[in-house]
Amino acid sequence: MKNTRRTLAGVAILGVSALLLSGCSAGASESDANTLKLWHFESETSAMGIAWDEAIKVFEEETGATVEFEEKSFEQIRSTASQVLNSDEAPDILEYNKGNATAGLLASQGLLTDLDEAVDEFGWDDALAPSLQTTARYDEDGIMGSGAFYGVPNYGEFVEVFYNKDMFAAAGLEVPTTVAELETVMKAFTDQGITPLAESAAEYPLGQLWYQLALTKADRSFVDDYQLYTGDVDWSGPELTYATETIKDWTDAGYISTDATGFKAEDAGTAFINGTYPIFFSGSWWHNRFTTEATGFEWGTFLFPEAEMSPGSAGNMWVVPEKAANKELAYEFIDITMRPEIQALIGNNGGIPVAADTADITDEKSQELIGNFNTLAEQDGIAFYPDWPTATFYDELNAGLQELINDTKSPAEVNEQLGGQYQSGVDDIVG
Amino acid sequence: MSTTILDEAAQAPIAAVREPRKRRSSTTRKTLGDWMILVVAILIGLLIAVPFFLILINSFKSPADYNAAGPLTLPTDLYFDGMINFWQRVDFPEKLWNSFFISSVVAILAVLVSLLNAFALGIGRVRGRTWIVLLILLANMLPQEVLLYPLYFMFKSVGLYDNQWAVIIIFVVIQSAFGTYLLASVLGTFPKEILEAASLDGANKWTMLWRVVYPITKPTLSVLVIFFFIWTWNEFLIPLTFLVSNASQTVPVSIAVLQGDRLMDVTTTSASALLGLLPTLIFFLIFQRTLTRGITAGAVK
Repeated sequence: MKNTRRTLAGVAILGVSALLLSGCSAGASESDANTLKLWHFESETSAMGIAWDEAIKVFEEETGATVEFEEKSFEQIRSTASQVLNSDEAPDILEYNKGNATAGLLASQGLLTDLDEAVDEFGWDDALAPSLQTTARYDEDGIMGSGAFYGVPNYGEFVEVFYNKDMFAAAGLEVPTTVAELETVMKAFTDQGITPLAESAAEYPLGQLWYQLALTKADRSFVDDYQLYTGDVDWSGPELTYATETIKDWTDAGYISTDATGFKAEDAGTAFINGTYPIFFSGSWWHNRFTTEATGFEWGTFLFPEAEMSPGSAGNMWVVPEKAANKELAYEFIDITMRPEIQALIGNNGGIPVAADTADITDEKSQELIGNFNTLAEQDGIAFYPDWPTATFYDELNAGLQELINDTKSPAEVNEQLGGQYQSGVDDIVG
Repeated sequence: MSTTILDEAAQAPIAAVREPRKRRSSTTRKTLGDWMILVVAILIGLLIAVPFFLILINSFKSPADYNAAGPLTLPTDLYFDGMINFWQRVDFPEKLWNSFFISSVVAILAVLVSLLNAFALGIGRVRGRTWIVLLILLANMLPQEVLLYPLYFMFKSVGLYDNQWAVIIIFVVIQSAFGTYLLASVLGTFPKEILEAASLDGANKWTMLWRVVYPITKPTLSVLVIFFFIWTWNEFLIPLTFLVSNASQTVPVSIAVLQGDRLMDVTTTSASALLGLLPTLIFFLIFQRTLTRGITAGAVK
C-alpha cells in the first residue's frame, strides 16, 4: 500500500505542476492591439538577422508598439506554416519562402493577405526590379509572376563564380571574360593535375551550372517559357542541348571530377575553402561563410562570362497572414525594412539588399557582390533556379546529371528524359 | 541520434549476458568460440558507436578546423563556442525542462494506462482481446504523418493547439499502445496460482492489481518507463507541429533551428546533437541497473 500511495502522490504532483505550467504558457499567446508578433528564421549573426534586429528597434521607437519576436527554424516554418497560419496562433508577420509550392500555395488557399493596397500606399514596387517582383506576386492558382502582391522581399541572391586568387596567380591566369577563356583557364589547371571546378551533383550546384550554360544561349522568353509556363520548352533546342553537351565535354576534359556525383553542396564548398579546387560556381549565400572561414587565401568573384542572365531571385520575403491581428503594424514594419539605412545594414554584413544605395556600402567585398547583383538586375538578368518549375524536378535534374557524368546516358538521352519529366510535372500544375 | 540511444539500450542485454560468462570463465577456460563471439560483439559495439564518436569529435571542432580536415579527424584544439552559441541562442535550459517535463509525464501516464489496459486484457481475459490489442496497436503502426492533420483539427477545436498537453496526450496514447501490447502478453502468462490465492484471501480486483500484479511486474514497468521517456524525448514531427511558441518547444525541435535554407553548420549542429543526446544518455546510465534487472527478472521467471 505504501508503494501505491507514493506512486499516486507522484502522479498527482506531476499533474498539478503540469497544470500550473500550461497555465503560464496559455497566457503568453494572447495578443493585443499594440504588439507585433514577428517570426523569422535568420540567425542573429547573419546579414538579415542584424538588419532586422535594427529594424525592430526603429519600429518600437517610432510606433511605440512592442515587437514579440521569435526565431523559428526554417524547417518549422516550412512544414507547419499552413497549419499555424490557419489558427489563432498565427503571427502578424513572418518571413516565408518564395515559390509556387510555398507562398503560392498559401496565397491560393487564402491564408496570406493580398498586399496590393499596401504596396500602392508605400510604393514598395518602385524599389523592386521587375525580376525581383516575380516571386512576390501570385495569381489565383498560386503561380508566380502575375497577380497580386503577397510578399515583399528584402534581399536578393544570385549565382556567380568564386575563384581562388592565389591559385590563379600561381598559375599565371587572369579572370576569364569569355567562355572560351574560361575553358583555357580550366585547361591550364587540369594540365597541372588540379581539377578546376568544385562541383556537387548530389545537390544543387551542378544543376545550377547546367542552367547557367543554357542561359548563355538563351533570352528572356526562354526563361519565361521555362519558369512561368508561358510557352513550350524545346528540350532538343540549342539552349538545353548546349548545356547538357558542355557538362559532358567538361567532364570528359577533366574540368569536373566524376567524384562529384557523390558530393553534396557542403562538400564542394568546404573543398573550395580548403583550397582543393580553384573555382566554385555557386550562390551568394556562401559569401558570408567564405569571408569568415576562407582565410587561408585571397578570393574574388565574377559573373559567369558572356552571360546576360544568371540563376538568382529575390530572397525569402515578408508575408502577412490573413488571420494576423495587427496588419497595419506589419505594413509599417515592412516599410522600415525597405529603408535605405536598414538595406545598407544588410549590404554591409554580407547580404544583398534589394533597395540599397551602393554609396552606403562600405565593405569592399560586399561592394563587389552587390555590384555584380545590380549589374544582373539592371540588365533583367535574374533567371531563377532550374528546379523551380515542378515539385519533383530538383531530384530529377540531379539524377539526370549524375547519369550524364557517370557516362550511363548520352547528352541526348538525358535531355529526352528530363524533358519528359519536366513536361509531366508542368502538365500537373497548369492542367 | 535516436538510433544511438536505442542501440545503446539494446546493448544492455548483451552486457547482462556477458557478465555471468565472465564469472564462469575464472573456473573454465575460454574456448575459441567464446573469443570469436567476444570479437564479433566488440565489432558490432564499435559499429554502433561510430555515429556517436563522429558527433563527439565534431562538437569540439572549430569551423576552420572542420573545413581544413573534414569530419573524420580529431580536433586540433578544443573549441566550445559552437556549444555555447547554441545554448544561448535557443535558451537551452528552458528546452531541456520542456523535454524533461513532457517525457516524464508521458512515461508515467503511459505506463499507468498500459498497466490498466493490460490488466483488463491479460488477466481479465476480455473476449476478443487479440482484436482489441490490434486496434490499439494501430496508433503505433500508422505513420505519424497520417495522424498529423486529424490531430491538428481535433486539438485546435478543443483549444489545446500550441499547448504541451496536446503533445502529452498524443504520446500517452501512442506509447501506451505499445505498452498495452507488451504488458498484455506478459500478464497473459501471469501464474494463475498467485491470483487464485489472492482471491481466496478476499482480494478484490483493485487490490489484486495494486498488491499482487503491480509489485511483481514492477521491473518490467520500469523498463517501459525508461523506453517511453527516451522515445518521447526523441520525437520530432509531432512536437514540431503542435508546439508553435518557442517557449514550449522541446530539445529536438530547437536543434532544427540550426538547419538553414541552403547552408548548414556542421560543428554547431553536432554540438547541439551532443547536448540533446546527453540527457537521455545520463538518464539511461542512472537507470541502467533497473533496466538490466527488469530484463533478467523477466527471464528468470
